[in-house]
Amino acid sequence: MMRFMQWLHRWVSLILVVQVLLWLVSGLFFSFMGHHAMSGHQYKTGAVSERLNQAEVAIDFTEMHDRFPSAHSIKLVNVSGKGQYQVTLAEQRLFIDANTGQPWETDTTLATELALSSYDGPGQLKRVSAVSGSDEVKGWQGAGFRVDMADDLNTRIYVDAASARVVEHRNTPWAIADWAFRLHFMDYSGGRSFNHLLIWTAGLLALWFSLSGLLLLGRNVAKGDFNPRRNRTWLEYFQQQQQPVASDCGGGGTCGLCKVNLRGDDLPVATAAERALLRPDELADGVRLSCQHKVSTAYDVAPLQQSVRSVTLRLERRRQLTPTMTELTFVSSVALEYAAGQFMQFQIPHSNDVITRYYSMANRPDGKQLVFTVRRIDAPGDGIPPGVGSNYLCGLGVGAEIEALGPFGDFLLTEANDRTQLFIGGGAGVAPLRSLMQTELASEQPRRCVFFYGARNVRELCYRESFEMTAGLSYTPVLSEAEEGDEWDGAVGYVHDVALQWLAEEDLNRVDVYVCGPPAMLKATLTGLAELGVPRNRIRFDDFGI
Amino acid sequence: MQNTRVSRWRVWHRWLSLIFGLQMVIWAISGAYMVFFDLDYIHGDHLVRDIRESLPREGKVASLDKVLARYPDAQSMALETRWLNDRLRKVYSIDTTSGQLLIDAESLAVIDISERDIRALANRYYAQSQSSIESVTYLTDNPPAEISPRLLPVWQVNYDDFGNTSLYLSDTTGELLVKRHTFWRGFDIFWMLHIMDYDERVDIETWWLKAFIIGTFILLITGTVLLVYTVRFKTKPAGGPQ
Repeated sequence: MMRFMQWLHRWVSLILVVQVLLWLVSGLFFSFMGHHAMSGHQYKTGAVSERLNQAEVAIDFTEMHDRFPSAHSIKLVNVSGKGQYQVTLAEQRLFIDANTGQPWETDTTLATELALSSYDGPGQLKRVSAVSGSDEVKGWQGAGFRVDMADDLNTRIYVDAASARVVEHRNTPWAIADWAFRLHFMDYSGGRSFNHLLIWTAGLLALWFSLSGLLLLGRNVAKGDFNPRRNRTWLEYFQQQQQPVASDCGGGGTCGLCKVNLRGDDLPVATAAERALLRPDELADGVRLSCQHKVSTAYDVAPLQQSVRSVTLRLERRRQLTPTMTELTFVSSVALEYAAGQFMQFQIPHSNDVITRYYSMANRPDGKQLVFTVRRIDAPGDGIPPGVGSNYLCGLGVGAEIEALGPFGDFLLTEANDRTQLFIGGGAGVAPLRSLMQTELASEQPRRCVFFYGARNVRELCYRESFEMTAGLSYTPVLSEAEEGDEWDGAVGYVHDVALQWLAEEDLNRVDVYVCGPPAMLKATLTGLAELGVPRNRIRFDDFGI
Repeated sequence: MQNTRVSRWRVWHRWLSLIFGLQMVIWAISGAYMVFFDLDYIHGDHLVRDIRESLPREGKVASLDKVLARYPDAQSMALETRWLNDRLRKVYSIDTTSGQLLIDAESLAVIDISERDIRALANRYYAQSQSSIESVTYLTDNPPAEISPRLLPVWQVNYDDFGNTSLYLSDTTGELLVKRHTFWRGFDIFWMLHIMDYDERVDIETWWLKAFIIGTFILLITGTVLLVYTVRFKTKPAGGPQ
């Protein structure tokens, strides 16, 4: 439930963040402006209408009553010394000159006079122009006049010709506020409506978003996270003690990296986050996430892998394997015990900050020497930055040093058995597979190793010769985008298709499968393996993540 | 070198949400209310109908000169109908420098609208058929918070219906001035919560409103940073078995 809330909170926020920002910015604008400044009526004065006995009127009420027998009401007003009848019929309203009996007419002079009498600002008359409605006055389409005043707010006054009515005052603050209303109400037609589908959707999302946040906040309060004298979590404790524990989410229970091993009789019950991120056998073994439990003396705690440590790596050699892949050989400051298939967390300096990136070792565990294959991520397009981690690492000079933490990961060889070891890899996924294969083939009784490796073209086939020369390894390279000059007579297509085709002829109960590669390839391979009926517990994979 | 930056952002996000997050919940709930209930419904347009009718032929109408001779202060005047004493009468509604007047269109005598007339007029305006008037009150001072004091004196007609409708009619002309019902009253409360003016419900320029908007902005920044770390830089999870 809480994990669902966390998921909901994060993904809804991703969609909603821009609109929330717009709501805040426009809301702040409204608050600084105030009602009056946004109304456009800074220089508008209530018109003082003259008395009716000052107006010229030639036609009497009785005559109008006879002329419009179905009228709902007949009203007489004084427009600048002349009588005007306003006749309300069932469907429309007529404006009649009380002297001629003809429809009312407003000329430029009258419009100007009316506009000026509704204005009490400092400006002089600047310009009068005939208009037909205005974008600035929603719902007014009639013929009329726009009277511009030369003042600090650029006031313009709209007068309707048919009725001689001052329709609206508009000015620059009003126009800015109008845009703020568009943003706040999400009504870009200018109608200032806040009852429409777009804002219903946003409102619903905002409701989910804030209520899920409230629930999460309630959980934090209940857990005592706001108590300054609270017990810290193990993760906070380790971080303060400068002990190496990996964490990407900072204690949110979403990355699953801060594993620790608990030893004792009275272990805390696994939380929902742990049940989602850890395997049942790990939970049974006492593995927990250090961010989920408070420091306690009821049991012993140890980082999951005693060998995890913070090390300084010095670049010893750099070799270009393919146009996009670089092999980096580092020497560790201290000997690092790791198993084939594991990875290190690199601390990459990036604009005054440090970001973390993960790379698997590509060689058989060998004390101080660590080999990585890094695929350089170029900028996908103009304005989009290239891969920060890969470009930093590929740009390191020989002798340069970098901090790393590890080893981590459980993409490991299976326990001794006599099954065929099938490796399926693509692109930079070669690194952990190479480490696993080297280790397996160097063991006392190597099992049968079969390796399918996918690349775009011949130039991207890294370590090709060395794989081909390796005794005991059946190596099948597969090209997905073989080029004209490749002179390729090997397998083509997707590596998982070729590998699965081969696997279909094998005894499925006599293979262990290891998969590592780009997300799409990994997903397709896992789907194919499941369809083929390979038991889930015979498959191991390593996910690049994003 | 430890990766504790994300933890710090998370702590800030939590503390800020404790103060500003709660107001954000209030903004979301009050905003959703205002968005989801149609403004015409809030205004109570469904509660009333148009009661204007054509001016009846019968009955004389006094001439303009006669009216102006009797009421020289008139600024505008309208010949219209009014349902009074169980029949449709022709009346002049006059705006003068000293206020509004309703006079008989023939005799020009000022019409004094009785409570009985108000009941009849209210029922003609009222569009829901099943309900009846619960009470009628003539308000001269201490107006309820839901109407502007400028409307006083005014007739308040309360209906015994789903929305506890109140119609407010002018004591001089008998015209419907405003209408209120439960959902309008709810809207008013949510509006108050939205702009954080708990007193008059009009001031959108209070310092605390600005402070909360800016605080929420900072909360948004911390949330966005967490979002970038938790959504984009997905880790290399310990995939492997099972």
